[in-house]
Amino acid sequence: MKRFWAWAAIAFGMLYFILPLVGMTEFSLRMRRGVYSFDAYAKVLADPRFQETFSYSVMMAVFTIIFGVLLVVPTAYWVRLKLPRARPYVEFVTLLPLVIPAIVVVFGYIRLYNTSSWLPLTGSTLGTNILLMLGYATLSLPYMYRAVDTGLRTIDVTTLTEAAQSLGAGWATILGRLILPNVLVAVLSGAFVTLAIVMGEFTMAALLNRPAFGPYMQLLGANRAYEPAALAVIAFGITWACMGLIQLVARLAPKPATPVKD
Amino acid sequence: MTEAPYLSIKGISKSFGALQVVRDADIAVGRGEFVSFLGPSGCGKTTILRMVAGFETPSTGSISIDGRDITYLKPSQRNIGMVFQSYALFPNLTVADNIGFGLRVAGVNRAEIASRVEEMLALIKLPQLAERFPWQLSGGQQQRVALARALAPRPTVLLLDEPLSALDAKIRVSLREEIRAIQQDLGITTIFVTHDQEEALSMSDRVMVMNQGRIEQIGTPAEIYNHPSTSFVAGFVGTLSQLDATVTDAAQGAASVGSETIAGLPLPASVRTGDRIRLALRPESLRRDRREGDRTLSARIDSVNFLGAVIRIKLHIGDEQLSLDTFNDPTRTPPAPGDTIEVHFAPETVLALTD
Repeated sequence: MKRFWAWAAIAFGMLYFILPLVGMTEFSLRMRRGVYSFDAYAKVLADPRFQETFSYSVMMAVFTIIFGVLLVVPTAYWVRLKLPRARPYVEFVTLLPLVIPAIVVVFGYIRLYNTSSWLPLTGSTLGTNILLMLGYATLSLPYMYRAVDTGLRTIDVTTLTEAAQSLGAGWATILGRLILPNVLVAVLSGAFVTLAIVMGEFTMAALLNRPAFGPYMQLLGANRAYEPAALAVIAFGITWACMGLIQLVARLAPKPATPVKD
Repeated sequence: MTEAPYLSIKGISKSFGALQVVRDADIAVGRGEFVSFLGPSGCGKTTILRMVAGFETPSTGSISIDGRDITYLKPSQRNIGMVFQSYALFPNLTVADNIGFGLRVAGVNRAEIASRVEEMLALIKLPQLAERFPWQLSGGQQQRVALARALAPRPTVLLLDEPLSALDAKIRVSLREEIRAIQQDLGITTIFVTHDQEEALSMSDRVMVMNQGRIEQIGTPAEIYNHPSTSFVAGFVGTLSQLDATVTDAAQGAASVGSETIAGLPLPASVRTGDRIRLALRPESLRRDRREGDRTLSARIDSVNFLGAVIRIKLHIGDEQLSLDTFNDPTRTPPAPGDTIEVHFAPETVLALTD
């Protein structure tokens, strides 16, 4: 009887999550009257604005991930190694983007970095792109930091660092050859969350007037019926593909050096 | 040690805030010597090792190797090999890559690295495991690989930080013999930190006993065990029964324990008649069979522990506790708790402790 209720709860949960997706997918296939077709998908994929905004956001995601890794991995590593007492404060700082709305952050950016400021980033396309990337990195900071910090918890950072130092390694070697490969899965999960955030982000991209995927989805959603559903399904597909990749990479990642029984 | 020390630690102290963990330590280690730092947890032995490795900076004093001052050099510039209690193998690298890591960092060419790795794998008798990852190895194998990794770049000094503590008893004994054999084979100057006296006594050329940040005694294992210079060393190394005694005749070496008087004891010259001292006896110094020249005490048995080859008998004389170890003799019935027996000992085996 206990087992029955367990299965019933699982079935209810699955229906709760899956039914809206099934409904949305079914709706996205009904563009042609009377039959199911991929017309909405073909239309979306053929739209030059889709290609432009999608590739722009992917590029921004890549740069955000690179910047995030370069910022977060050394920071989390250094905090664990040298400043363990500062961990709660650093964690608090990394959580701030969750409580400060993106619109506040981006208005702050615009006020600080407008064309009449000491660093007029919004005065050029490159500068605005950099500003947007920094904004994305801020939004993904809570997830990236937590993922990397959790990864670092699985290895003995201090002893591995000392072992490498005693063998003559400098900081760059230690970070690049030892720490990063050992937290790669954590970094990748942080990276995929970052990708998901960047691909769906609307506020910052819209207010900085950049051709990103988020504003495009909003625009399409406001003016069309079937295409937004097709876009949402594509977005889900991308997210799931990312999760699959995390699983795949996790299997290939180095395992902790817990010894087997003698 | 007559020649100039290879590793010289002069007057080093280390404080963490208000807490002084090492106090004015002077240690001279000869080339190729194996010295163990022995002491209870928190005595400062690992801190000294970490200062030699460069992971801590001394508050005062200096450290030099072969005449070169290394006190303020970075750990990566010291060319000192270190083996850690937790193995510290790099999980993302194979055994071969772990061993070759130091050489790769030093920019040694691939062929030379491969040859040295092969040599090290042969040394630790694990040539078949070159392509395995650390998680595929047992604890003993991981520690062997850690040793090979530390030795591969031909370090000037090898530091072993309780390398056997995480292993089970059987592996520990076999590995300590292997480590000692490898050390002697390579002739590398080695410092071994342990809180296990058996390890320290069995492996070392000399043992340094530490307590509360101070060096209590440095000497050969036999000196440390047979002639401890302080009551801490006497109590920490080996099992020791201590009896409160009063010197009844300093010139004759006589002292009373409870109602019994023992004469001919090797008392220090500073002891005067009437002084309160402690007489210390190793369990193996006490005998149930009397020999010529032995001194005798009557004692009541509290417990008898059968340990296989050895029987350990706990006794008391008045309020004082004693331990007696005797070989198991299957033809003889062991005494029972509550019995009163006579125990005998040679007076020269008694340690008179005055501090």
